[in-house]
Amino acid sequence: MKAAAFDYAAPKTLAEASALLGSNGAATAALAGGQSLLPMLNLRLALPDLVVDLGRLEELKEIAATRTNIRVGALTTHAAIEDGKLPETFGGLMQKVASNISYRAVRNHGTIGGSVALADPASDWSGCLMALGAQVRIAGRKGTRSQPIGEFVLGQYSTSLAADEIIVGFDVPRPDAALRWGSFKVVRKSGAFANSIAFAVSHGRGGPAVVVLAAAADRPCLLPAVAERIQAGEKSEDVLRGAIAQDVKDVTKDDSYLMRLHTSTVLRAVREVEAK
Amino acid sequence: MDDRDQTASWIGASLLRKEDARHLHGRGMFIADIIMPGTQEIAFVRSQRAHANVRHVTKPSELAGRVFTFADIGQINILEAGPELAAHRHSPYPPLANRRVRYVGQTIAACMMPTRAQAEDLVDQVQVELEELPAVVDVVAAMRPDSPRVFDEWPNNAYISTWVVEGTPESLTSAPIRLRRQLRLNRQATVSLEGRGVLAYWDYRLDELVVYLSTQGGQVKRLALSQMLGLPEQKVRVIAPDVGGGFGGKNRIMPEDVAVAAIALKVKHPVRWIEDRREHLLASVHARDHTYDLTISADRDGTLLGIEGDIYIDAGAYALWPTGAFQEASMASRNLTGPYRIRHLKLNAHTVATNKAPMGPYRGVARPGATFALERLVDEVARELNREPFDLRRQNTVTSAELPYKTAAGMKLDTGDYVAALDIAREKIDLPGIRKRQAAGEPDGRRIGVGFAFYTEQSGHGTVEFVKRKFRVIPGYESANVRMLPDGGVLIYVGVQNHGQGHETTLAQIAAHELGIDPARISVRYGDTAVGPYGFGTFASRSIVFAGGAVGKASRALAEKILRIGAHLLQADVGDVRIEAGAVHGPSAKISVAEIAFAANARPDHLPAGMDPLLETVATYEPTDSGGVFAYGTHAVVVAVDPDNGVTEILDYVVSEDCGTMINPMIVDGQVQGGIAQGIGTALYEEIPYDEQGQPLATTFADYMVPCAPEIPTIRIAHLVTPALTTEYGVKGLGEGGAIAPPAAIANAVADAFRDIGATFNETPLTPRRVSEAIERARRAKESHR
Amino acid sequence: MKSLTLQLNGSKVTHEVEPRQTLADFLREQCRLTATHLGCEHGACGACTVAVDGQATRSCLRLAIMCEGQSVQTLEGLDDDPTMEVLRRHFHQSHALQCGFCTPGMLMMARDILSRMTNPNAQTVRDQLSGQICRCTGYSGIVTAIVAAGRELGRAPQA
Repeated sequence: MKAAAFDYAAPKTLAEASALLGSNGAATAALAGGQSLLPMLNLRLALPDLVVDLGRLEELKEIAATRTNIRVGALTTHAAIEDGKLPETFGGLMQKVASNISYRAVRNHGTIGGSVALADPASDWSGCLMALGAQVRIAGRKGTRSQPIGEFVLGQYSTSLAADEIIVGFDVPRPDAALRWGSFKVVRKSGAFANSIAFAVSHGRGGPAVVVLAAAADRPCLLPAVAERIQAGEKSEDVLRGAIAQDVKDVTKDDSYLMRLHTSTVLRAVREVEAK
Repeated sequence: MDDRDQTASWIGASLLRKEDARHLHGRGMFIADIIMPGTQEIAFVRSQRAHANVRHVTKPSELAGRVFTFADIGQINILEAGPELAAHRHSPYPPLANRRVRYVGQTIAACMMPTRAQAEDLVDQVQVELEELPAVVDVVAAMRPDSPRVFDEWPNNAYISTWVVEGTPESLTSAPIRLRRQLRLNRQATVSLEGRGVLAYWDYRLDELVVYLSTQGGQVKRLALSQMLGLPEQKVRVIAPDVGGGFGGKNRIMPEDVAVAAIALKVKHPVRWIEDRREHLLASVHARDHTYDLTISADRDGTLLGIEGDIYIDAGAYALWPTGAFQEASMASRNLTGPYRIRHLKLNAHTVATNKAPMGPYRGVARPGATFALERLVDEVARELNREPFDLRRQNTVTSAELPYKTAAGMKLDTGDYVAALDIAREKIDLPGIRKRQAAGEPDGRRIGVGFAFYTEQSGHGTVEFVKRKFRVIPGYESANVRMLPDGGVLIYVGVQNHGQGHETTLAQIAAHELGIDPARISVRYGDTAVGPYGFGTFASRSIVFAGGAVGKASRALAEKILRIGAHLLQADVGDVRIEAGAVHGPSAKISVAEIAFAANARPDHLPAGMDPLLETVATYEPTDSGGVFAYGTHAVVVAVDPDNGVTEILDYVVSEDCGTMINPMIVDGQVQGGIAQGIGTALYEEIPYDEQGQPLATTFADYMVPCAPEIPTIRIAHLVTPALTTEYGVKGLGEGGAIAPPAAIANAVADAFRDIGATFNETPLTPRRVSEAIERARRAKESHR
Repeated sequence: MKSLTLQLNGSKVTHEVEPRQTLADFLREQCRLTATHLGCEHGACGACTVAVDGQATRSCLRLAIMCEGQSVQTLEGLDDDPTMEVLRRHFHQSHALQCGFCTPGMLMMARDILSRMTNPNAQTVRDQLSGQICRCTGYSGIVTAIVAAGRELGRAPQA
C-alpha cells in the first residue's frame, strides 16, 4: 500500500502555509503529525497533489497560560499532554484523555490540532474540549479568528475551516479550583477508535455542568438534560437514565443497542464526576 | 566446542532456541528482505465486484508491455483441486481471471514496475470493464434451488454434500431431551503478521526457475508449479526464507504464486510480489466460516445420545490446490462427538461455493467450529436439565479405562486421562469459588461467568487419515537426512518448514539425544527443495511426530555406524562400546565422535574393512498407526460481562493439556499461549462481514480487530503427560490445540453469566453488540412469559 | 525528488527521496536496513517501530522527508546498546519470539517503555504494548521478558 505521488512543501511561516493551502483547494492536504493522514495516503483514500507540512510553524507550538486561559498550540502532541507538559490539565482530565488515544508511538506524533481539524466523529479531543468550553484559534489569509469548538466542528470530517485556514491553537478557560470531571470510553480493543465516549465536567457543586457524548453522532453532542441533573446533584439512576434517553434518542434513532451503549457510557462518566 | 557430560536427557529440556539470535538482532531474512539486483515489483489489478464477467481490460498504451493479463502469461495448466471424489465439482482457478471474477479481490492483471509504488500507480491506470452478476453471499441461501450460481454449470452451489451417519439415529427421535440450535462462526482471515510473498527469476547458471516463497512447505508447491507451468521439477527450485507465521495461510497454491512465476519466465529479471495487509484481508486464505443447524438428543440422566443436522461450510469461490475446503466438512462432522460417548450421528455437511475469497486451513481446521457447536450444545443440555455443565460434561467423557476408544465417526482416541484434565481445570479455575462469587454479585454491576470446553487434537496423522480425506497428495511420511561433517558437527536436512515452531532447536534436541553430542553441534536446515529431502511441510500439528521420528530414526542409524567405527578404532567389541557425551567409550579407552567423523569422511583407510565411508543417513518415517494420535485438554475461562454495553473481559484462563512427551516444554507452552491468543481472536474479535453485494466490510486493521497484549490474559497452563504408544518418544502434535477450544469456552462462560435469563451466545465473534442483543432478547422473552 | 539529510544509527546520511516515500520504505529499500518490518502500512501493528529523536515512531506513518535533520535509530544500530542487550537476553530466556517477524518492532517498543518507566509491572507493560501485534506468542513471554529486563535495569520498585 504505497501512496500516490504528491509534491511536498514545508513552509516556515503561517502566511506561507495559508497561501499554499489556499492555492489548490481540495487537492492540498495539511500535514501535522501525520498519524491520520499517512494511513489515508498509503491506502490511496487521500490523493492530494500537494502536502503542506505544518511542522515548522512555531506559532502552532505555543503552550502558555494567561490569566483566563490555557493556550494549547495546535501542534502539541498527545504524548506531551499525556506527560503533563501543559501548565494545567484540568484535574488530570486532559492527561487521561491523551493517554487513551491510540498507541504511544502514535501519540508521540499525533497532534491535538490535527485531530480537531480532521473532525473524525470518534476522536477524543473535540468532545473533551467542548466539555471544557474551549475556543479554537484560527489563522488564514484574511487574518485570525476565534470560534467555540461546538460551532467549529460541523459534522463528519467537516469543520468551519476555509481552504486557506489553519488551526493555531486552543484557548481553554482556566478552571475554578472546584472543577470535577468524569469520562468514559468504549473501544473494541485498546487503542482503537471509540464506539462511545462521554465527558462530564462540573464547576463546583451546583455550578454549571457540561456533558458531551461523542462517537455517537457525526459530531460531539451536548447533553443538556443530563447536565441539568448533575447541576441538581441528582442521585437517582432512573432519573439520570431518563435524562440520557431524552438527550440521546435522536442520535441512536431506533437502534436499542446504541441506546444501551451510550447510556451506560454517559452514566459511567456521570458517576465518576459525582463521586468526586 | 562443548562436549560436557550430559547426564540429563535432551528430551524434555527447555533448551533456549537456536533460531532466536538472528531475529533478536533484526537479521532474519524474510521474503521482503531479500535484495536481488534488477528485481521489479508486481502489484495486482483486483476485482472490485464479487461476481462479474470481465468484459474488457484496457492497458495504458505506453506501458502495455508491463501489464499482464491471463492471455499474456503463457500456457497455464490449471490443476484440479479438491478431494479425489467424483462428486466434488470443478472450480478451475486461473492465476489471473479469465472472463469471470468470483470474489472481491480476485486477481485480474499483474502490473510490473521498478518500484511497488509505481506498480500501484500503473494499477490505477488500468481500466477494467465488469458486467456485474448477482452475488452469492449467504451460505444457507446459496443452497436454495433458486440461488444464483457461482459456477454456471453446477446443479447447485455445493462443491460437495456429504453424509456422516453412524449408529441408529432414528432412535434419537424418541429421546426425552431434544434441543435444536443454530450456531455460527463468522468468516475471518489468518493474519500472519508477515503476509505472503513471491520472488521469482530464471537462474541461468543452474538452468532453473527459482521461486522464493513465503510458504509452509516448498516441495509440494514445487510439484504444483512445475505442473502448472509445464516445467520438469528438476528445473524448478522453491526456497522458503524466514517465514513470518503461516497458521495454514501459506500452505496452498495461490494465484499470485503462479502469476509471478509465470511472469518470471517471460522477462529477463527477477520479479517480486509482496502482499500488503489489505490484499491479505481480501484475498488470502479465509477461515472459520461454519454454520450449524443441529439437534442434540439426551436422556434425562444427562447421557448424551446423538447429534443430527446440517453443517454449512462457506468455502468461497474456488477450491485451493491441492485439497479444496472439503476437509472442513469432513473434520467438522467427524469431530462432533468430542471426548464423549455419543454413538449416533446423522449429519449432512455442505461444502458451499459463494462469491467470497477461498477458504483454506487455519490453525485448528474445522475443530474450532465443531468444538464450539458441540460444547455449546452440551451446556444447553445442562441448562435444560438444571445441571452443572461441568458435571454433565464429565459424566459423558470417555475415561482412561475406556481408551483406546473408537468414536462413532471412527477416530481412535488413543492415550490419556481426559477426566483428570477436566478435574485439574476445574480445580485451577476454582469452580466452587466462582459460584460463590456469582451469588454475591459484582460491585461494578458486571456479571461473572465460567465456561469449560474440551478439545481433542488429532495430530501426527498420516496415510490412513489422508486417504480417508481423499487427498491428492498424501503426507504419509517425513524425511530426514543426517550428515556428520569431518569435525563431528552435524547438519540435518528435513522436509518440514519451521516458521516459529522452534524446529531448529527441538529436532537438534532429538538428534543430540540419539547421537550423544551437544545440540550446539547440530544445525537443522530446511526450506530449499534443492537441498533437502522430499517432505510435505509444516501443518496439521505433524512436525514433531513426523520430522521428530525421521530425525530420531536417521540419527539412530548414524549412531549405530559411529559405534561400529569407534569399536573398530578402539579395537573393542561392538557390544562393549557406548556413545555418550561426544565420545564412544570402550572398556578401557574412549575416542571422540570428532575423530570418528574425521575418519569416516577424510581417512577411509582407518575404517573397518568393507565399510563404506561417510556418516550420512536418510530416513523416512511414519508412526506405526497413521490414524493419528490425540492431544487433548480442557480450557476453563472466567469472564466479566457488562450487561449494558456487552463488553466481555477475560478475568482468568486455565488450560490443562496433554500432548504426550514434551521434547521442549518451553516451546510447548509457547504454542499453547499463541494458539489461545488466536482462539480468543476468533471468540471475541476477528470477523470479515459482508454486505449483500458480497463486498467485504473489514479490509484493514481499522475494522479487523486483532487482539494485542491488553486483550490477552496470562494463561495458566497445567500439563499432563501421557505418552503416545505409536510415535517416537511418545510425542503428540500440539500446535493447534490452543486455538480449538477458546470460542467454546468463552461462549460457555458468557452464557453462564446470564444463565438465569437463558441468554444464548451461539455466534462468534461475541462482539459487544451481539452479546448485548442476546441478553436483551432473553430478557424480553423471559418478561413475556410471566 | 528531494534531498534528505538525517542521522541514521549515529551516522549522517544524505539521500534523494520521493515525498511519498515513508520512513519505513526509505530505511528498507534505500538504506537496506531490513530489520524494520512492514505488517500493515497503516500504523496498526507496530512491526515498523523505530526511534525518531529518541521517540518511538511507527515508521510507516512518517514520510522520510519529515525526518530532515532528525536522528533515526533502528534495531540494527542497537547491537551494542546496553538496554537492548538486556532486552535481547530476556526475550531469549522468556521465549518471547517464535517466527521473529514482530520482534524488531517489539524490541524497539520495549526499549522505549523502559526508557520512560522504571521497573514497570506486568499490567503496565501490557497496556504499553497496546497495538503491537504478535500472532505467534500470545504476548506472555514478551511481557515477562520486558518486566524482567525492567527489573534488572531499574532500581526502585514502582506500581
